[in-house]
Amino acid sequence: MNPGIPSAGANLPLVDADEIRRVLEDYFERGWTDGLPVMPVTESVLAEFLDATTHDPDEVLLDMPHLNRACTVRLAAINAAMAGCRPEYFPVVVAAWAALQAENYVTRGIWQSTTGTAPMLLVNGPIREQIGLNSRGNVFGSGFRANATIGRAIRLTAINAFGLRPGELDQATQGNPAKYTACIAENEEESPWAPFHVEHGFDPQASTVTAMTMRSVAHIEARHTTVPEQLGVEIAGTIARTGALIHETISACIVLGPEHAVLLARAGWSKDDLRRFVYEHAVNSREALAAAGKDAVSGKTRWRLSSEHAEAVPDSTPDADVVRVLGSEQAVQIIVAGAHNAGVSAVIETFGPRGGPPAIAPVEPV
Amino acid sequence: MLELAGVPAVSICTEAFVVPARAMADVYGHPEFEFVTIPHPIASLGPEEIEANVRPIVADVVRILVGA
Repeated sequence: MNPGIPSAGANLPLVDADEIRRVLEDYFERGWTDGLPVMPVTESVLAEFLDATTHDPDEVLLDMPHLNRACTVRLAAINAAMAGCRPEYFPVVVAAWAALQAENYVTRGIWQSTTGTAPMLLVNGPIREQIGLNSRGNVFGSGFRANATIGRAIRLTAINAFGLRPGELDQATQGNPAKYTACIAENEEESPWAPFHVEHGFDPQASTVTAMTMRSVAHIEARHTTVPEQLGVEIAGTIARTGALIHETISACIVLGPEHAVLLARAGWSKDDLRRFVYEHAVNSREALAAAGKDAVSGKTRWRLSSEHAEAVPDSTPDADVVRVLGSEQAVQIIVAGAHNAGVSAVIETFGPRGGPPAIAPVEPV
Repeated sequence: MLELAGVPAVSICTEAFVVPARAMADVYGHPEFEFVTIPHPIASLGPEEIEANVRPIVADVVRILVGA
């Protein structure tokens, strides 16, 4: 039997496919989608989502004062249902909005910027297992409903509650693929270190969502080494690329595959050891910066540009021949995710906080 | 924002941002809001090219500022 074409059976729901298509097409015509079909939402469906949280439907989860628009619990629930979430995912969506509010970039218009960032969500704690969030193989990829739809719930809300449609209020030059969805879980079980939320003061039995404003996910191939310093240089070199520098410094989240995390831990490295190593080695020579036309900053915007530019002023370390791209060790977050099957890791290139604490919100126990 | 605070101002944007500029004006309830456009881009131009692009809009800027 072809697995793609189910045979008729007594246990299959009886529906009018033409009616379903008509509903889906109506959602497209109203501009309520991200380009993919959405789940139709009725009052009874919405009620199931609102029952999954103690928050009041009219409570504001995230405010964009410059647009005079806000996302309420009700709007978040409608869009979560449209995204294909199950009601039991909704507390994670609510926590995601709290984390985005705490991060404070979205509230200041970053989703409208030409840079084209996307929200990257990281989930920690027992909720991962309870709702089937993937933290292992293909963690950035497709195939897992909770990951796919929780991330998508944020995008659909951006479109429908805030009106951030491409070419209108969303001016992204290229955007990035994570604008469809980006929600990962930490592989706490195969990490040699404390989980990310525990590192930041939460109880191991608490569940949390961390929000990051991401520009891209850069892939690192390092199957060749068992030497921690070599792996550290690969990661630092990935972070240091001049193309990532719009400001004087950047921030990043290192997503170690379990194999790399275990390699480092076996050599006696803690997360802080890796953070320190990367901070010290994520550098460009003054010459390399000059070759890219980024060896100074603008006196007006502090964006990097050539020292020959009319607006150029020296950067923060004008006498240094080797220039750090990270303002502090704290500009680097470290998590573990993916399958324990190869020497592969990644760097999420983030927009801040360039030294401040990450934006973490607890998931309400249900 | 400046105009809401009573300070005469004029918005200038490049042609690449006309649609979002119009959308922002709608958000603030002023769909008739008048702004001036210049060719895109700006960031990669030298001072002479910038000046050449700006000269044609000077009259419009002054007209909007004085509310004529």
